[in-house]
Amino acid sequence: MKDEILRVQNEALAMIHAANDERSLDEARVVSLGKKGSLTALSMAMKDVPKEQKVEIGQLLNGARAAITASLEEKQLALQNITDRASVAGIDATLPARALHTGGLHPLTLLRERAVGILRRMGFALADGPEIEDEFHCFDALNTPADHPARNVKDTFYFDSGKLLRTHTSSVQVRMMEKTIPPLRIIAPGTAYRRDEIDSTHLSAFHQLEGLYVDRDVSLPDLKGTLEAFLRELFGAQTAVRFRPHFFPFTEPSFEIDVKLEVKGQAPRWIEVAGCGMVDPAVFEAVCQSRGDRKYDPEQVTGFAFGMGLERLAMIQWGIRDIRLLIENDVRFLRQFA
Amino acid sequence: MNVSLNWLSEYIDLSGKSVQELDDLLTFAGIEIEGIHTQGVNSEKIVVAQIMEAVQHPNADRLKVTQVDAGEGTLRQIVCGAQNYKVGDKVPCALPGAALPSGFTIGETKMRSVESRGMLCSASEIGLIDKVDGLLILEGDPAVGTPVKQLFASDVLLEVEVTPNRPDLLSHRGLAFELAALLKQSVIPVETPEIELHRDADWIENDAAAACPFYSLTKISGVTIAESPEWLKQRLLSIGLRPINNIVDITNFVLHETGQPLHAFDAKKVGVKLHLRYALPNEKFAALNGSEYELRAEDLVISDDTSSALALAGVMGGNESGVSEATTDILLESAYFDPSAVRATARHLILTSDSSYRFERGVNPQGILPAAARAIQLICEIAGGTVVGGTACVGDLPVLTGEVELNVDKMNQLMGGSISLEDAEDILTRLGLYSAGENLWSVPSTRADLQRHIDLVEEIARVHGLDNVPSRMQGTFVPASEVDAAADTDMALRRSLAALGYYEAQTIKLISEKQMIDAFPLRPLQEGDLVKVSHPLSEDHAILRPSLIPGLVSTAERNVRQGIKALRFFELGRVFRHNGGGKSRDLESENLAILLSGPVAPDGWTGNANDADIYDLKALLSSLLPGREIQFTPRERDGFVLGCEVTCGDSNLGVAARLMPSRERALDFSSPVWLLEMDLAKLRKLLSRRAAVEELPQFPGSTRDAAMEVPNRVTAAAINKVIVKANEKLLVNFHCFDVFVDPTGVKLDSSKKSMAYRFSYRAADRTLKAEEVDAAHQNVLNTLVNQLSLSFR
Repeated sequence: MKDEILRVQNEALAMIHAANDERSLDEARVVSLGKKGSLTALSMAMKDVPKEQKVEIGQLLNGARAAITASLEEKQLALQNITDRASVAGIDATLPARALHTGGLHPLTLLRERAVGILRRMGFALADGPEIEDEFHCFDALNTPADHPARNVKDTFYFDSGKLLRTHTSSVQVRMMEKTIPPLRIIAPGTAYRRDEIDSTHLSAFHQLEGLYVDRDVSLPDLKGTLEAFLRELFGAQTAVRFRPHFFPFTEPSFEIDVKLEVKGQAPRWIEVAGCGMVDPAVFEAVCQSRGDRKYDPEQVTGFAFGMGLERLAMIQWGIRDIRLLIENDVRFLRQFA
Repeated sequence: MNVSLNWLSEYIDLSGKSVQELDDLLTFAGIEIEGIHTQGVNSEKIVVAQIMEAVQHPNADRLKVTQVDAGEGTLRQIVCGAQNYKVGDKVPCALPGAALPSGFTIGETKMRSVESRGMLCSASEIGLIDKVDGLLILEGDPAVGTPVKQLFASDVLLEVEVTPNRPDLLSHRGLAFELAALLKQSVIPVETPEIELHRDADWIENDAAAACPFYSLTKISGVTIAESPEWLKQRLLSIGLRPINNIVDITNFVLHETGQPLHAFDAKKVGVKLHLRYALPNEKFAALNGSEYELRAEDLVISDDTSSALALAGVMGGNESGVSEATTDILLESAYFDPSAVRATARHLILTSDSSYRFERGVNPQGILPAAARAIQLICEIAGGTVVGGTACVGDLPVLTGEVELNVDKMNQLMGGSISLEDAEDILTRLGLYSAGENLWSVPSTRADLQRHIDLVEEIARVHGLDNVPSRMQGTFVPASEVDAAADTDMALRRSLAALGYYEAQTIKLISEKQMIDAFPLRPLQEGDLVKVSHPLSEDHAILRPSLIPGLVSTAERNVRQGIKALRFFELGRVFRHNGGGKSRDLESENLAILLSGPVAPDGWTGNANDADIYDLKALLSSLLPGREIQFTPRERDGFVLGCEVTCGDSNLGVAARLMPSRERALDFSSPVWLLEMDLAKLRKLLSRRAAVEELPQFPGSTRDAAMEVPNRVTAAAINKVIVKANEKLLVNFHCFDVFVDPTGVKLDSSKKSMAYRFSYRAADRTLKAEEVDAAHQNVLNTLVNQLSLSFR
């Protein structure tokens, strides 16, 4: 009996070992452990085993069953593993992707978002105003005399009503001062219009980012510190920034700001990126008159304002040579910003 | 404005100053240098050399190997490709180290393996004008080794941009004064004789004193019109002006020297009386530029007793009355014309001149008579002639400047205490102001732009420089605005759309009449609702867009031409219109528009996708507004098919449609073009609405399916409505999962469609029994049967 058990066990293990698919493995199980299986038959014969041998034979039988079962399970896993591997065989991972549509944001949006993000973190709140403006908000209140060169139908889009398309976002300064008391700390990105023929460097409708800070004791050091910090964050911490005196009707003193652009393989050069200045007291006077109070009394408050062209910044940032790319929305261009 | 450095050096000592230093100095004083042009030879290392020998280059047909004597004691070997010289000629030789105007620096090299130690130059290579092809053959036998720059006058032309507040800089003397102030130097004075002035001349009648407060004329008889002397011609040429004759050249010279425009009339062509007046009705003026101008009543002219206009005051002289070769007597005008009057005329006639440019910005009243004196002196010297009866004038020289107080506290506040009062005062003094009492400053007549305290501070800041002002980083905290909130929502929306495979477009807000065919505003336009600019630049940009769709259609059209098949664009932006046929005006609002056309997935090896349809458009909107019921309700719109109103709950979001198929064909679109234009303000509201979370269900639910045959005309929306009407408490949701039609009528009557719905039932407080679910489901089905003519399959 002992020999018989060992023989059955060895036969079963050999058969399991030889099995190469689910079916032959199942056959091996039936042959040994099935109802009419060889080990099952030996188990039935237990009743005839003399009492004093029962323990020993019983242990042998249980051992054989455990060994066969373990082997079956092991083989089962091995075969499953082979099947699983076969199920992914032949998949060529180097084939191209199943295509999905890509989309993306317009570069002007990306740039504006970055610029606006920096300034908002510096505590400026967003503001806006109408694009169809009146002469008061676009010119008069901004200390721009009636016969200023910009104020004519050749350079500015007028309507029959006498209104016009704002020539700069600076009109938002006036609108905001009219409806908010100081301290005022705002930025206003938006469209401005000039009657320019569209070419590689001009658009008749373009985008500006305007900023204004009015409070007690706002000074040139504030203007300088704020705009330096902004431009260094936009163009890189090491960027050199310089302020050149300039003239704008609505600020005094006024400056143009250059940053030193260092492009690999090119000589560094100064590029004009923004205009700025201390708000001209005449602007505050106009606002006081319009408001009918003295909240913006130039004896009490001072402020600085700045403005920049977003198309220009985008062109500098990405080396865009033709401004028209920014209005054509050619997917081959937009894709590069996706 | 063009400035010649040689000319400038007549009035200020610039020796030892490089062009770069001057550029920096002026730039940081707010005077922009737009261009620097070197004229003539600049380098010391370009010298006269004599060609002693020239033999054929062994390895190149077109080159010769020359031995030249550059005055160095030994001959220098130079390879040269020019053909126009002979041995013995003297030519410019650029020695190693010489920098040419092109930016190229000469070195010692080998050309086709023959050593070449320098370069023989043509005229243009050393900054002169080429007269012949090839080397510049030097005439007059100059000594070898002489720097060539000694043989040719050199100069630097600066293109200066002067801001409109600084008319005092529009001359060489003006700029010299500014430089002197910046360099702490003094200007070299130009001596002019005293003028013999006769006030209130009875032969000059001024009917336009407002436009011309001061007018002077000097008669000079016996002048000889001729070519100007070389020095004078050179001065004018150096700033790009063409010499004409001595009289005209002198007036131009004085203008560019002093900034005061002058005009010379031929005295014989002017009557005995001179009249300053506004133009007569329908008056025409023949200007010396050969054009004729129609004048308006605001235009100031100078005429005589014959009543014909001799000159357009401050802008241009007349064709008839000017100086010609036959002129022997002249009348020299020096006057002050009101800036706005001149500006109005110049702008209206689109006629500008060096004169009008300066009068428009304002000339120095105290410079008017000295300029006349300077011109008179030069005319008498150069053209002969004598002054007859001194200088006659009418009116008074305007006084435009006075005393301005410098508020020291305010200056210190604005400058952040970065400059001492002493230094500030020094700056003002250098700029020609002088102290007229404690912190009171008297402004020179050249600086009419200095009227207020802040104008003085500006000068101080400008000269002090922002480099010398400290930086301060601080600011008052202010609360975020509604615009901030809207901008954040808009950015989230943009990013969602980009992630869903759409490109953001930004199109020009001015569109053409032709593009209006694609306009798809939220509410149809009535006659008079369009916002049109009065003087468009071109027909292409004449109307402020009432809808974003025309821009997106143009965008799609452009991309179709580039072979792009999947057209998926969106734009957020402002639209403009009047309302009620123009009753309420200039309305601005913000929209979101979407254009969708072409395959729903890009082509690939896994197969080609279907073209997008209206359900893809709807799907996009559902993705943007997850969990919200988007409904399209058909409402026809002219120019489009399948027009729909788009709603979300009780919010009317906008409109959707397909472009008219004929329009699609006309624009070469090969797939249907789906459009959506929505009110961005309403969309923002839906996107920013914060709902409280719903409890998750604790008990399982059950589903039941039902397939029904309904007439084709019955819409899904109608079925939905009835199901909702059933008001079945246990029904938590339902959706259509299949629609079947058979146009052949074989499997289903062709006038009907089969729609399959799945209904989910659940109670919040218990697991439903099968009977409860069946009863609820029956309730829904009964309502459907009762309300709609349908049957269940």
